[in-house]
Amino acid sequence: MVLTCPVATGRTTQRDETTGHSRRNLLRAGALLALGGAPAPLAGCDLFDRGDDPPPAPDPLEPLVAGALELAGRHRAALAADPGLAERLTPIAEAHEAHAAELRRVIGRTPPSGSPSPTPGASAPTTTGAALVAELRAAERTGQVAAAKACATAPAERAALLGSIAAARATHVEVLG
Amino acid sequence: MTRRAPAGPTPALTAALTAEYAAIYAYGPIGVRLRDAARTAARAAEAAHRNRRDALVLQLTAAGVEVPADHAGYALPFPVTDRASALRLAVEIEDRTAGFWRAALAETEGADRNRALAALTDCALRATRWRRVAGVNPLTMPFPGRPT
Repeated sequence: MVLTCPVATGRTTQRDETTGHSRRNLLRAGALLALGGAPAPLAGCDLFDRGDDPPPAPDPLEPLVAGALELAGRHRAALAADPGLAERLTPIAEAHEAHAAELRRVIGRTPPSGSPSPTPGASAPTTTGAALVAELRAAERTGQVAAAKACATAPAERAALLGSIAAARATHVEVLG
Repeated sequence: MTRRAPAGPTPALTAALTAEYAAIYAYGPIGVRLRDAARTAARAAEAAHRNRRDALVLQLTAAGVEVPADHAGYALPFPVTDRASALRLAVEIEDRTAGFWRAALAETEGADRNRALAALTDCALRATRWRRVAGVNPLTMPFPGRPT
């Protein structure tokens, strides 16, 4: 109720005469409150999130979250194998972790184990130095293509984030060149 | 009937065009303060921005949109007096232009969005290269074009 009032103020006359949107919204909000049945309506969200509903369909961005964590894991493993690469690889690993966190925020689901962490299963690299960097470079290129594809077909509100991720991966390729 | 009203991507693309105008302008004073490979890179960057500008002018014209005019000069955020300030401005110009192309992503689709993404990516790449030339670390940003 409180939340809907500012929307209606100042436009009441106009809206009522034309579409009646504001009134409908008020009614809808009232229905939600009635369903929640609690004096604090925001706390009622849990009722909808954790019911006995079937699990929601996977978000199309889920594979990108996994991809970002996989890339982060690769860089972290490479850092462990060759600490001399720290200056180049640390910001890249951090970028992938930030991408995963932001993607999860957009998807709107919290990760099962709290904050995002690199894929622990990333196997320790068998190479070091230039060969290791070349492997990372190839993985970044693949990741750039995946993010660009996702950007091309994403709804408007996700396009900017996916574009930034694709561009970031392109700059990683550049740094690893 | 007249042409379709300019809705959709037009504001974002006209904004990107003005950003490209400003970038082209900025590379003038930048190039003057650079030598050798860096000067060559500045010329290549300027040419790339001119290409983006030309493509945008064509695109907007074809859509029946009034193309915003270029200006004789643009206010630079700080004076370019030497190599260091030239490189700093080059980084800033690319980061800033990337922001306009990123904003265009949400307002475009299909081939237009792919073009905007290519432009965003190119700006991010040039910003990274300029940071490397300037010796600035880190070389990359987690979210190119995102307002900070």
